[in-house]
Amino acid sequence: MAENNSSDTDRAYLWRLHRILALYVTGVLAFLALMTWAEHQGLSRHWIGPIFLFLTVMVYAGIGVYGRTTDPEEYYVAGRRIPPMYNGMAAAADWMSAASFISLSGALYLQGFSGTPGQAGGLAYLLGWTGGFCLVAMLIAPHLRAMGLYTVPDFFHVRFGGRWPRVIAALAAVLCSFTYVVAQIYGVGLIASRLTGVQFEIGIMLGLGGVLLCSFLGGMRAITWTQVAQYVVVLLAFLIPVSWLAYKQLGNPLAPAVYGAQISKIADLEAQLLDSPAEHQVVQTYLRRAQDFEARLRDVEGALEREREKGRERIRALRTQNADVGLIVTASRELAALPRDAAAARERWTREMRENYERARPLGGLPLHSQAYVGDPQGTPDEQRDYELTRRNFLALMFCLMVGTAGLPHLLTRYYTSPTVSAARASVAWSLFFIALLYLSAPALAVLVKFEVMQNLVGSSFEALPTWMAQWARVDSSLLSVEDVNADGIVQFGEIRLGADLIMLATPELGGLPYVVSGLVAAGGLAAALSTADGLLLTISNALVRDLYFQDAKRKASPEQRVILSKFALLSVALSAAFVAALKPSEILPMVSASFSLAASAFVPVMALGIFWRGTTRQGAVAGMLAGLGVAVYYLLSHVPAMRALPSWLLADGLWFGIQPVSAGVFGVPTGLVATVVVSWLTRPAPALPRIRSEM
Amino acid sequence: MAGPFPPDLHDVRHLKLKAGLLLLWALVSFGATYFARDLQVLVFGGWPLGYWIAAQGAVLVFIGIVVVYGWAMNRFERQDAERLAADAAALSDDADRPHG
Repeated sequence: MAENNSSDTDRAYLWRLHRILALYVTGVLAFLALMTWAEHQGLSRHWIGPIFLFLTVMVYAGIGVYGRTTDPEEYYVAGRRIPPMYNGMAAAADWMSAASFISLSGALYLQGFSGTPGQAGGLAYLLGWTGGFCLVAMLIAPHLRAMGLYTVPDFFHVRFGGRWPRVIAALAAVLCSFTYVVAQIYGVGLIASRLTGVQFEIGIMLGLGGVLLCSFLGGMRAITWTQVAQYVVVLLAFLIPVSWLAYKQLGNPLAPAVYGAQISKIADLEAQLLDSPAEHQVVQTYLRRAQDFEARLRDVEGALEREREKGRERIRALRTQNADVGLIVTASRELAALPRDAAAARERWTREMRENYERARPLGGLPLHSQAYVGDPQGTPDEQRDYELTRRNFLALMFCLMVGTAGLPHLLTRYYTSPTVSAARASVAWSLFFIALLYLSAPALAVLVKFEVMQNLVGSSFEALPTWMAQWARVDSSLLSVEDVNADGIVQFGEIRLGADLIMLATPELGGLPYVVSGLVAAGGLAAALSTADGLLLTISNALVRDLYFQDAKRKASPEQRVILSKFALLSVALSAAFVAALKPSEILPMVSASFSLAASAFVPVMALGIFWRGTTRQGAVAGMLAGLGVAVYYLLSHVPAMRALPSWLLADGLWFGIQPVSAGVFGVPTGLVATVVVSWLTRPAPALPRIRSEM
Repeated sequence: MAGPFPPDLHDVRHLKLKAGLLLLWALVSFGATYFARDLQVLVFGGWPLGYWIAAQGAVLVFIGIVVVYGWAMNRFERQDAERLAADAAALSDDADRPHG
């Protein structure tokens, strides 16, 4: 994109940046080559992981320290002089969170085109996370940049005046960014614990140190340049394994161009698996287990007592035959692991029953990979309903992700850092380009991995299972479990369960790549999580300090004091996010999707109307934000199991139109729009506006 | 700045451009995926069309939309600036500055 201001100093600045970037990329590649050579020479695997982790975090921290600042213009908007290409790179790194890097390929692997009626996904993530940028580019970013703001809640203050629009916007920004940041820190913990073998909680703390070193010292300026550095690592870490797998399977490293050939092969393999008798045995076994749990649930108290008695009986029997101590210990451990009371038993057995039913389906419950939507529009009423529901949920999720993109505060503030309005538009285009480089390869990776699993892993013997599977299973059994269900010693497709968060991280090992690539992928996942966490933490702390604490004119403080206060807010937010993440809430993707729904409902209707409709009033904005956010939060919370304790008339009864809770934005966005328009119309000022425009 | 700040009036050409591109955006994303099952029947070089659009085609169109928008807006702004300069030279009058 052409620079508007092409004075000599700008050009020199740009060239200096290009030179530094080229030097950095060469450095990363040289380091990779060095590590490959060292592995060849016999460097132990125990060292490779920690070396990658430590060195990359040190590089980011070094940039963070170099970019330290207390100047508000630098701290909040990086001095507004980041050239569009670099802004695009930083936005891409900011955007590609742990969810994109770690879970997207996994979700595409597990969900195929569209997911199931109960859990839409698949390509909806891909489309939602790229298509939203069209909205950002045309409706939001250039207009916000033209207003010369510092944070997203600033917009509501400047446009509508008064106190409440800004306060509500700041609270909504904190709410959706916090959900998002917890997911990032969870990702950091996952990677760090696998890479260094430390406990999950210690992994979180290690990663947190990296986040804080960058964002604590230098604010937006330091974050921007660390994000550029992180983008390079993320891109290499994604493209190297994908290209390798594509080269191995198809003889051409350009994965996105050639993986079409594997799609039809997967369809053939799926047909074979659906006919295989061994797979049917596996399905039957899971069905029996699920029915066993269902029977227990009919009489929880009695079943628990019976299970306990059975355990005690077994220990007694083992004791009388003087069995091996190890066996007795295992038996008593199993007895102790039984649920403590009826309530716990009911919860656990319900979950296990559902899991077993889930797996008691052909192909382990995965939909056919390239088939658009499950079910059949011409089939039985059940199939028709499945088809209709999957398609509806797919479109709903895509809508929420797209609109949410246009409302996520940490992304929008990125475009405040560009020098001009025209550069803000160019920045959005560059962001989408850099994001697409990775997103076009993600479905390719899912297809290649699925082919690898179906072709090579399925049918191998349990004796010969690679060691990495055991290592991952040890980190968290929900990530990976392989069990010889039908006891034939051969791996069936239905017996492998891979978690969405695992697939990308395990790809190098699955494809038989050198261990260095595993290190690089983990470093890439770490970079993706750290870069997003940086941007989010900065957004949250700015909302807390700038928009909530200092929004009264009464509180006097010098700009430097404000920056220092922001830094401490950032520290405490980071620690509380780490605390929540340590509770291992749930998978990354659903959490992130929920925060998109929240951002979409709270910000986008009011922001778009505020920019394009002069009749929007302050009361209208407040009503729109509260109504949109309220409906979305209500719908989300109504379906959280913990809320079942509330009286049932308070909660939404069942699903509305069969839409899943993560897509709550489908209801929040129209509600917000209608509320804003109606209330603005009711409270419209009586006379015509006195002046056409006020000064900027 | 305490009072509310109504936005500038938007140029009709800009709004038309936005409407056109947004229509294309909706067609490619919501339209194509709504009919994905019907498009799956067409297969080009191993790719079922519905899958290809959702996995790659739509993303490429999105990039196109954003690039075209940036290019067209820059062009409009350049034209406005030129016209403004011409007007100012002719009338040496104080003109209202347009804004994108």
